[in-house]
Amino acid sequence: MVAPTVKRRRPLTPYLLIAPALLFLAAFFGYPMVQGLILAVYDDEAVLPLLSDPGIEADSVGTLPQGTGLTVLDQRANLIEDEITSDLLTEDWFRVSALDNNDQTVEGWAPETRIRIREEAEDGTPLAGTVRTKLAAGADPQTTLFAEASESADVAAKLDARTRVRIEEIATLELWFLVTPQADETEVDQSLEGWAPSRFIQVFGEGENGRIDRGTDGEFTWRFVEKMTEDRFFGPAWRTTLLLMVLILPIQFVLATLMALIIHARLKATSIFLYIYSIPMGMSDLAVGILFFSLFTGNGFINSFLEGIGVLDGPKSFLSADTRNWIIAAIVLAELWRATSIVMVIIVSGLQAIPDETLEAAELFGASYWQRVRHIMLPLLRPSIQVALILRTILAFQVFAVVIALGGGEVVTVLANETYRQYFTLRNTNVASAYAVFILLLSIASAFFYLRAVRTQDELSKT
Amino acid sequence: MAEIRIEGVSKLFGDNYAVRDANLTIRDQEFLVLLGPSGCGKTTLLRAVAGLGMADAGQILIDGRDVTYLPPGERKISMVFQSYAIFPHMTVRDNIGFGLRMNKTPKAEITRRVDEAAELLHIEDLLERRPSDMSGGQRQRVAVARALAMQAQVLLMDEPLSNLDALLRLEMRAELKRLLSEVQATTIYVTHDQIEALSMGDRIAVMRDGVIQQCDQPSTVYSEPANQFVGSFIGNPPMNFIDGTVHGSGGDLVAEFDGNRLAPTAETSQALERLSGAAVRLGIRAENMQTLSEPADGAIEVTVSVVEPLGSQNLLTIDLGGNRLKVSTHPTFSVSPGDRVWLRLPENHVRWIDPETELVVA
Amino acid sequence: MSASEMQPSTPTPPEGPSLDVAERRAPITWGRIGTYVGAVFVALWILVPMYFLFSMAFTDQETVRSYPKNVLPFVPFSTSTMRFFLESEGVASGLANSLIVALLSLILSTALGAPAGYAVARYLFTGRDVFRLAILATRAFPIVVLSIPLAVLFIRFDMFDSLISVALMHTVLALPTSILVIASVFASVPYELEEAGQVFGASPLQSFRHIVLPLVLPGIAASGVFAFVLSWNEVFAASVLTLENRTLPALLLNSLSESSDAYQFAGGFFLMVPSLIFMFFIRKYLFNMWGQVSK
Repeated sequence: MVAPTVKRRRPLTPYLLIAPALLFLAAFFGYPMVQGLILAVYDDEAVLPLLSDPGIEADSVGTLPQGTGLTVLDQRANLIEDEITSDLLTEDWFRVSALDNNDQTVEGWAPETRIRIREEAEDGTPLAGTVRTKLAAGADPQTTLFAEASESADVAAKLDARTRVRIEEIATLELWFLVTPQADETEVDQSLEGWAPSRFIQVFGEGENGRIDRGTDGEFTWRFVEKMTEDRFFGPAWRTTLLLMVLILPIQFVLATLMALIIHARLKATSIFLYIYSIPMGMSDLAVGILFFSLFTGNGFINSFLEGIGVLDGPKSFLSADTRNWIIAAIVLAELWRATSIVMVIIVSGLQAIPDETLEAAELFGASYWQRVRHIMLPLLRPSIQVALILRTILAFQVFAVVIALGGGEVVTVLANETYRQYFTLRNTNVASAYAVFILLLSIASAFFYLRAVRTQDELSKT
Repeated sequence: MAEIRIEGVSKLFGDNYAVRDANLTIRDQEFLVLLGPSGCGKTTLLRAVAGLGMADAGQILIDGRDVTYLPPGERKISMVFQSYAIFPHMTVRDNIGFGLRMNKTPKAEITRRVDEAAELLHIEDLLERRPSDMSGGQRQRVAVARALAMQAQVLLMDEPLSNLDALLRLEMRAELKRLLSEVQATTIYVTHDQIEALSMGDRIAVMRDGVIQQCDQPSTVYSEPANQFVGSFIGNPPMNFIDGTVHGSGGDLVAEFDGNRLAPTAETSQALERLSGAAVRLGIRAENMQTLSEPADGAIEVTVSVVEPLGSQNLLTIDLGGNRLKVSTHPTFSVSPGDRVWLRLPENHVRWIDPETELVVA
Repeated sequence: MSASEMQPSTPTPPEGPSLDVAERRAPITWGRIGTYVGAVFVALWILVPMYFLFSMAFTDQETVRSYPKNVLPFVPFSTSTMRFFLESEGVASGLANSLIVALLSLILSTALGAPAGYAVARYLFTGRDVFRLAILATRAFPIVVLSIPLAVLFIRFDMFDSLISVALMHTVLALPTSILVIASVFASVPYELEEAGQVFGASPLQSFRHIVLPLVLPGIAASGVFAFVLSWNEVFAASVLTLENRTLPALLLNSLSESSDAYQFAGGFFLMVPSLIFMFFIRKYLFNMWGQVSK
């Protein structure tokens, strides 16, 4: 049989359909995710190169890390060609023209500090002024005009104080420093000597000392990770995070399984129960934090109730700095209230996947309800429980608003709260990223742990 | 007039041919059944005619018009789907009238034709109901009514009865046959049920592995299969096959199997001559063998291993050499497992098959 | 679910007991009564705390401060706490911001998720499984990890502290779920229905509009509602990405330490209300959303 000629098509449609979502996730999920990882271990202001001459194009003679103490040996001002907006140590120079004391028209450059501006255009541009009087005793009473905007340039003219000048042109100069590491900086090359723009250097006192404020070149560093681990809240944060998990998860899974079994029992009002049970799923941890605050607060319902039935004589303060355990108990209850629903929903969908016949067969062979739960349902639910554990653990690492609502975020703190504090209160973006990456690593590790733990059990049951 | 011509149609799924070089002409108002086991490409071919999966090669013409690349809606066809594809969010009336609405038929006309179609299928009472609370049989009727209301010249049916239970299927089979003879549409009907094919079709096209094996009237397909596959797929029990050899030539040509000899009819001898000295396979249907309780001239002695009384006949299972034969006998023919009986194979009912190609030679 | 409606069902025999499991009524036993009692207890555990908070939100501020508290419903009933909250500085704009961000997230995640969900449900294409898996995986990444680099990014592009940037972030969080839910909704509409539409003269677009759309609309709406609720609730990213243009949760979180109980309780009420309403509408789709994960 002769094979017929065949046209073959590769359908593009599905790719066009997923393209918008894919591009969106790449731009707002993939890219920031990579950036986040980089932020934690990469300092893009880590080192400052020192240059052989005061100019951007000069060669680098070596680099010094951010924070290095410096001795300033010399300084020079350079004309800024391009507009640089960030914190510059600058000096403005004016090109002025005036009549000198010989009635000759002279022209030259003078620093802004030598001219008092008398006349401005509407936009604030200085148009004219007078030469300032020199106050220092013994100084040359005349003000020098230079051929170029630099004190090392040739002298173009000299003007008396109070001479009227026209301002022809303004130049902005940036200071450059010739620096070398201070003697007590033992970890860097002491012999290094080079020029750096003033915007990267903080100068103290009379201008002889300084330190590198920020660098221009990036470097991979563990600095932020170390800063995180040395933070006084780091230990309490991860210990509390894990403690909360250990306290919450077991109770939560038992409770969720019971709720799922209730839903699966096909009671008359199942849809109402399912609705009520799933309400907390749609609530933020902040809302639930406030909810439990209303119960536990000093004049809250729990105190009212306990005093009402005579257990307490007066209101007890549950959520104060010296009742750390009560705060943790309140957080545990709030998280049980809020996050059990999602576990329940996953388990219910697992239960729905078990054929009725399987359970009926077990019933036929004489298994009681709890035997069926123990020997049929729970083993078949293992994949669902595994997924729920992974999801629940990952979500648990992110909880922080409930901690702030119930404990203020200082007495009891968790990792996500520290991330927020580092970013928002302390403005340490990199350290905050280090915390975030730490949470990510813990999430991945726990996912692998659950996958392994469940697989091991599977292998055991086969032998 | 709506003649359907399928010319050299192929359809690929990945690198596999689902349909390979199919050629068929379905005459105006003919009822053609596409028959074959699941996965043989019959539904793929039907969908190519419907325009639901474009043919990768070949041409499809309806009423002389090339429709190969037309979308389904412009082919002037109508279809009953295997799962019925009833729109769950519309009432039965809206379902049946859907195609007419899409074609911008006047409202009064739609109402008239929907009522007519519903009456034909006896579902007038269901018209205002929604499909969600209807039984399978009712949905099936809605699907057929929807197809008929279009009054299209071409009607395509994809296993329309396969989701019904046995009794309902029998009932609908007869009813469909009556309806289709009334509506006078050219029909292609896909099924894997050979009884449905034999009882309903004007002609049957048997397919296997994407290739049309034979296309002919039911009686011809049944009694004169083109190859071993058609013989074994059609008929219950399937055709019996006995392996043997052929010797001699001309008038002396004779087939030998398991120590027995059988001379073919004069006209088949000629066709068989080229196989002389090689293997041959005899094909014969269960009801075409004569069973005798005592030796007779030209009858083969065999032992009965199983007896299945089926009411209208007794079905015997017989071992002959390495072959297991199914033989039907009159219900009054009394026999028990282990008994010896004598079989006569009438040479005019024997089909001769070349074991190499599995094609029927004569 | 609509999927079950579309399965051809065999007619039930008129006589004898029905075999349909849902129809079967379990006999009343002690175990059954116990289950009801348990069900009610769990329901109370969820409802009672909410009731206390709501009764605080709808009483006068005097009662909010009082001790011991009354357990009677809303006594005295008053809107003064609510009014005080709504008239507090930033609350009106916080509510408006939350609403805008949530609606933007709803629109974005549906607009991006619906085509992708349709592709996953309807086409077998190379890379489909990888795409599905990647989508599942993105759901597992913590918000915390994403928020900070996104904030850095938005600052760089001068989009920091804008509602758009928060909505983009929330869309990232909602989109994977939207895609999976919408895919499962489309998958529950047999493709044969679309084909039937085309055979009966509808163009592919008409077929989609008249047949598929009415069937999937509730499910797509549910996924949109999910995105809305997620956005309405989200605290961390909203706090990190905004400064002046706070959404309601971000506003509440950052004023917790200096605000009165009345303010907090009324704020809590506003955070909870959408969940109460929307969970009712999407409860049928809960299993689509989370049952999917285990597959």
